[in-house]
Amino acid sequence: MADLLGVAGYSTIGLTIPTGILPDRVDSLRKAFDHSGLDTVMRVDLSPTSRMELLRALRRFRNRYDIVAVKCLNQRVATVACRDRRVDLIFFDAVNNNTRFTHTFARLLRGALEFNVVSDLIQHPDGWVFSRIRKALRVASEHRVKVVLSSGARDHTMVRSPLEISALATVLGLTEEESIGGVSSAPSSIVVENSKKRSPKYVEEGVTIVVPTGR
Amino acid sequence: MARRYALVKLISEKKLTDQQFHETLDYTIKRYFGEVGFSRIDPRIMEFDSDSWTAIVSCERSAIPELAAALSLITKHAEVPFVILVLRVSGTIKNIRKRLK
Repeated sequence: MADLLGVAGYSTIGLTIPTGILPDRVDSLRKAFDHSGLDTVMRVDLSPTSRMELLRALRRFRNRYDIVAVKCLNQRVATVACRDRRVDLIFFDAVNNNTRFTHTFARLLRGALEFNVVSDLIQHPDGWVFSRIRKALRVASEHRVKVVLSSGARDHTMVRSPLEISALATVLGLTEEESIGGVSSAPSSIVVENSKKRSPKYVEEGVTIVVPTGR
Repeated sequence: MARRYALVKLISEKKLTDQQFHETLDYTIKRYFGEVGFSRIDPRIMEFDSDSWTAIVSCERSAIPELAAALSLITKHAEVPFVILVLRVSGTIKNIRKRLK
């Protein structure tokens, strides 16, 4: 799969790591991708069912991963995930009828909205899934929400090139600029921003420790 | 009419023929975009190299997102799973051939 991602034209990939996995195993996974010339970014997907569960998970895992993504299973979790600045990405289940990305969430959202376009559309190639993704993209576009496009690949059969992912989003209603940004500048800006936050000089938003030089 | 050319790579466990790729591509475009969409995209397989598993597919200039989207939604042919990666898009076939070499 690592070789295939290299052929597809990726330079950096987000590796979703289960929370209980041992550090040795994570290192061996990273080495496998490094060997193919790919940079890896550690990511965790949280699927809390309540507000408290989400806050607990964020306290526990925020500092361990480069990217924290939250799967919004219900309205309450989605509201907290949108507001919390520790959350980098939120995403919705394409076939979950209880929650969908609405104008309310778009106004609250501090992070970015993720779409697993390839896996959602391949697993559920129905008109209503297309329609739901199209509506969510329209809302995101209207509120100028940062959109991240991903393949959501779990195995090699779901791997697609960045060009194909952005083309899918263009077909579903994003502008060409937005869809290209969704596979390039949007995810990379999150990674850069988070690496700044994880540096020891970072205090809080807008405040960093500056050591005077030449004295 | 101006056209665009896409260099695609096929990845599969079994070998795929030119005809099979053609059938799958036509079927997928018609399924997701309909007959009218098919006529607008106007896909043509310009070259198919069964040794390197690459192909050059052309379409109407404005329909490249539709072609790439359709290619990304192809998952199998006759129950044999395969992946299609669009590696490059160009306005001339000469440029794409350069990339092939």
